[in-house]
Amino acid sequence: MEHKIITGSITHATRGRDILRTKGYKANIERKVSENKSGCGYAVVFDGDLEKALDLFRKADVKILKVI
Amino acid sequence: MIYLDNAATSGKKPESVIKAVNYALNNFSANAGRGGYKLAVDASNAIYRVREKVSSFFGASSPLKVAFCPNCTHAINYVIKGVMSNGGHIAVSDLEHNAVMRPVYKTNCDYTVVETSFTDDKITTQNFENAIREDTRLVICTAVSNVTGKIMPIREIGEVCKRKGVLFLVDGAQGGGVVPINVGKYNIDFLCIASHKGLLSPMGTGILIAESDIPDTVIEGGNGINSLELKQDSEMPEGFESGTLCLPNIMGIGAGIDFISKIGIEEIYEKEMNITSFFYENLAELKDVILYTPYPEKLSFAPVLSFNIKEKHSEEIAEYLDKNGIAVRGGFHCSYSAHNKLNTTDVGTVRISPSFLNSMNEAKYTVNVVKKYNLFLKS
Repeated sequence: MEHKIITGSITHATRGRDILRTKGYKANIERKVSENKSGCGYAVVFDGDLEKALDLFRKADVKILKVI
Repeated sequence: MIYLDNAATSGKKPESVIKAVNYALNNFSANAGRGGYKLAVDASNAIYRVREKVSSFFGASSPLKVAFCPNCTHAINYVIKGVMSNGGHIAVSDLEHNAVMRPVYKTNCDYTVVETSFTDDKITTQNFENAIREDTRLVICTAVSNVTGKIMPIREIGEVCKRKGVLFLVDGAQGGGVVPINVGKYNIDFLCIASHKGLLSPMGTGILIAESDIPDTVIEGGNGINSLELKQDSEMPEGFESGTLCLPNIMGIGAGIDFISKIGIEEIYEKEMNITSFFYENLAELKDVILYTPYPEKLSFAPVLSFNIKEKHSEEIAEYLDKNGIAVRGGFHCSYSAHNKLNTTDVGTVRISPSFLNSMNEAKYTVNVVKKYNLFLKS
């Protein structure tokens, strides 16, 4: 199942994507302005275990704004 | 021309740095961190790869702790004004550049200038410890003095700061890429770097590594985050990257780090110190030459050496050397503090700062020109 984690910035998204890739996820970055009420946002899009991905993000200080 | 002003900026950039800058100009002409199209994301990715290199090179905990700024002075301003926005006391060394002292002065916070020693790092460390008060919020020390070349005991000072619970800012303008600096191992909260010096990159981009929070921003604007809100967060890294980043320079920084890593920072330092020692030994033999520091022992000094000739202004000596094809810097090197310590606020000093790309023949020629000038003065 595909998940999208909206992050604080392109840098945070890149960090998140790289971490997921090192753990074997197939992950990419998409710009998601419409998903952030404050305007501007980048999503890490991936297939796989969402909870595990969120845990990896938190441990790496990747700022999570929203999960779709 | 013999270029001996590498403390001002690295005179010769490696071919790989020039290629990286050109590559960015040719291939990444999109605004990183703004658009969602492939080229913009590729540009952001290229910047992130350099964040990783900087993070690894300086021992930061994460690439998210690395911000790119217009220069080292901006980075220092962000830290000092951001951290001191709610007041408190600052302890700062007596060898700081105006990039530190002017923002410190501007905060209107109480500050103590800490006396440092050229010969005994334990004294310097102890003096810092003694200067820390209950209300001390920030300790600031340069990694390397831009006037004397003294390597400061930042690791030991970092230990004191950690023990006392005080934030520690290191000005790495002169030391970054020249001597090893490890943010994690040295307990450094904030490291600011002038990448056009020791990292052999283009002018116009500095680096801020912030392991601790900076509670307030100094420069606000577009940063690709929360564009519908007027208040800007002070989160690293984009909180301190308002406005478009200079991607070509950042690519140059990455190539500069690769270049240094390939040769080895120790090997580069060894060669630079051999040339510096040669200058010291030969200038010390001249009767009217004034040197301001002890012999530049390795690991205690970096390749920066100040001297004068009695009864001459440093600018006159620098001008004479320039007429003989040698680029050195006379004057005050933007450091009131250091010249106040050396008692040279009247004449400044002539500063020689070789790089590993200088040859011993160039050093010999320079010494001979100084000798000639010295003889000319006596005749």
